[in-house]
Amino acid sequence: MLLERLKEALGADAVKSEPEDLAVFSFDGYSQGRTPSAVVLPSSTRDAAAAVKIANDCGEPIVARGAGTGLCGGAVPAQGGIVFSFARMNRLLEVDVRNRRARVQPGLINLELSNRVASDGLFYAPDPSSQKACTIGGNIGTNAGGPHCLSYGTTVNHVLALEIVDSNGDVFEIGVDENGYDLTGVLVGSEGTLGMTTSAWVRLMRAPEAVRVWLAAFTDVESASAAVSAIIGAGLVPTALEMLDRLALEAVEAAFHAGYPTDAEAVLLVEGAGFEDDLNADEREIARIVKECGATSWRSARSQAERDALWAGRKGALGAAGLIAPNYYLQDIVVPRTKLPRALSVVNQACAERGLKTMNVFHAGDGNLHPLLMYDRSDTKQVGAVIDAGNEILKTAIDLGGTISGEHGVGLEKRDALAKIYSTDDLATMARVRDVFDPRRMLNPEKIFPAGVGCAEIPR
Amino acid sequence: MTLDDIARTLRDRNETRQPLSIKGGGTLGAMGTACIATAAIDLKKLNRLVAHEHADLTCSVQAGMTLSAFAKALAEGGQFVPLDAPVRSKATVGGTLAAGWLGPRRHRYGKPRDLAIGSQVVLADGTVANAGGMVVKNVSGYDMTKLYIGSFGTLGVITRANFKTMPLPRARRMLIAALPERSRDRALQQVAHLAAQPAMAVCVEGFGKAIAGEDGIDGRILLLFEGSPSYIERATRDSRSALGRAGVPETYIIDAGVEQQFERVLDACISETGERTMMYRSLGTPGSAQERATRLRDAANRRELFTDVLLDAMNGDVFLNVSERDARAFAQKIEACDDDLRAIDPCSVIVSGRAPIRASLDAWGKPPAAIEKMREIKARFDPNNILNPGRFVGGI
Repeated sequence: MLLERLKEALGADAVKSEPEDLAVFSFDGYSQGRTPSAVVLPSSTRDAAAAVKIANDCGEPIVARGAGTGLCGGAVPAQGGIVFSFARMNRLLEVDVRNRRARVQPGLINLELSNRVASDGLFYAPDPSSQKACTIGGNIGTNAGGPHCLSYGTTVNHVLALEIVDSNGDVFEIGVDENGYDLTGVLVGSEGTLGMTTSAWVRLMRAPEAVRVWLAAFTDVESASAAVSAIIGAGLVPTALEMLDRLALEAVEAAFHAGYPTDAEAVLLVEGAGFEDDLNADEREIARIVKECGATSWRSARSQAERDALWAGRKGALGAAGLIAPNYYLQDIVVPRTKLPRALSVVNQACAERGLKTMNVFHAGDGNLHPLLMYDRSDTKQVGAVIDAGNEILKTAIDLGGTISGEHGVGLEKRDALAKIYSTDDLATMARVRDVFDPRRMLNPEKIFPAGVGCAEIPR
Repeated sequence: MTLDDIARTLRDRNETRQPLSIKGGGTLGAMGTACIATAAIDLKKLNRLVAHEHADLTCSVQAGMTLSAFAKALAEGGQFVPLDAPVRSKATVGGTLAAGWLGPRRHRYGKPRDLAIGSQVVLADGTVANAGGMVVKNVSGYDMTKLYIGSFGTLGVITRANFKTMPLPRARRMLIAALPERSRDRALQQVAHLAAQPAMAVCVEGFGKAIAGEDGIDGRILLLFEGSPSYIERATRDSRSALGRAGVPETYIIDAGVEQQFERVLDACISETGERTMMYRSLGTPGSAQERATRLRDAANRRELFTDVLLDAMNGDVFLNVSERDARAFAQKIEACDDDLRAIDPCSVIVSGRAPIRASLDAWGKPPAAIEKMREIKARFDPNNILNPGRFVGGI
């Protein structure tokens, strides 16, 4: 009945129900959920709205999905239901060069947007490492970040307006500059629990006149993280300030030959953008700081090709991790930037104590750590150690005044941890918003909220 | 009032269903519909900078602190939070957030919603709810802070906010030029293409001595640059030649007292002279600003009202001040003028004006498409409708 109705509304080729199709859509970059009842591929807002109405009639939960590159289980169907894939709604609808904005469909791939507007001297700033695959719609769901968020902000700072299909299958539009509540600000990062984006106006930025990339190598991670704190503390805010530790450097070099030193314990990848004069001054100042912090080498990338190679290496680091161990578990925590040295040493110790190798490659300038815990999934002892260490890492972030996720999201993975940083009142306040948009908890159920929060209020 | 006082007051008033207004500095008191309330929550005692984590580039501030005091305290550490609202000596952090006031430097530094990283809010039932934190990147649950910003106190009382801070620019300079006949369009185009983007770029027509400079036939332009000394030099050279290409012969430089001149621009956005003026704000794209400004101004002039126009070239805002010589003449003309202005921009809002007639005009214009969802949110947060009832858009 469900399948027939969906096929009738969207066309037979827009509804997938073969077991092998369904299996693919039960995963994301973190875990596996239940097998969905069906996968729909809407071609229009109307399709999406129609499918939501049918899902409602049949009592099926709804999970909107981008490219499935998410790392917290946000896109997996926790209770089965209908998965919405926006692979067919992947167009760049409009570029408004004068006002530096673009209207896109949710399935548009992040990097493609920047590539398509480059000839106008523009770019789309949020640049998650998965940007070759991830979609703008998925980025909106998670409020995705990336290395350049340090100076440009995350996705929410770059979304101007949204077209949303709500849990009833009704379509509505919201914008950041209209009179009324900033619904856009809450919808972005709500992981598909408040509605699904069917189109978006996003902000484009003007490409800087000059870009420089610098590399500083250190003999220990503590000195490198002290340098990060010193650079930020000096009031210098580069466009990106990334750290790679020894294991990350080894993996990246083995996979890409990107040009990183492999004899260092830690490397800072620093990018500055703007005017030549300012970059000259920043270069001198940053060079002075990193040397004071014990950098053993310091250099500026000489060409665009060299800069691109370094960035390709950085953004491909997760893929390269496969060379180190069969599996990895990637954490995402944020601490106040001055706490970075402390956080890093606790993280590394927590893993070392449990016999786990760690690889660190992260957005140091934001205080956003991404330890990768390397392990072998077939070894149950190692799996236990990873879970244990992961919890200790979260606890460390909280103890240091930080938070449990900077850019990957809560999803399934961290819903219980959310209760450690927010009180019941705080969470119940969030649930008031959910009550408005999704009173029956049919949109991406079992995500974000710890089990039990706000449930008493749900009319069943 | 302390936090406990506020929570207790709200709880009591909520139980007895007695409406409350929420008071910051009162500078934007003319925004929105006047609400009926028999008591006010006064935040002036909550006026401390709770934390300034200088090396983390974050801070936490109580809502009642004035923007001037806030800026001064942060400047001691060489930093700032670009909350650009009028009358900084009176305007409070909480009031500025509640109003979601949008300033002229936001294209460069972000809006209040982009700068705030956390909040503490007391809800109508007295619940103290925290959101966000003291880190610059955070996707742990819904970003509730954004919901409160711009909500005009209708969802809760903002008692504290956390912000990202920024290093103060090392140098600032303002360039001012009178615009000769038919030079404004070209000047705006040139400014839009400047490689050294101004932190603020406004075209002014009128406003007398409230804003620095003197009008040419097409008004005047004020550019504010913030950055390193070499950036300022480069920006000056580029702007002068760009404006020259637009037919603007002379540009004046202001290096001393830039902050005062900047504040005069901010203050002008709510300038009011008793009961014979009113200020409208129309938001839109930078590309549409010039046409909107002209149409709004012409509409008011057709009703024989005097006008002053401030056009924010970087963000697209248009501020239109309409006035008459006396309150009576103003009262006779404004209703018809209001209809005409709302026909041009149905979402334009009244941001200042104290004429008695003001109460019969719609402060907000056309409600947004998602107004029903907003009403439902209001009902969930304030079911007894005690917080600033009726002040916000659509009667919320």
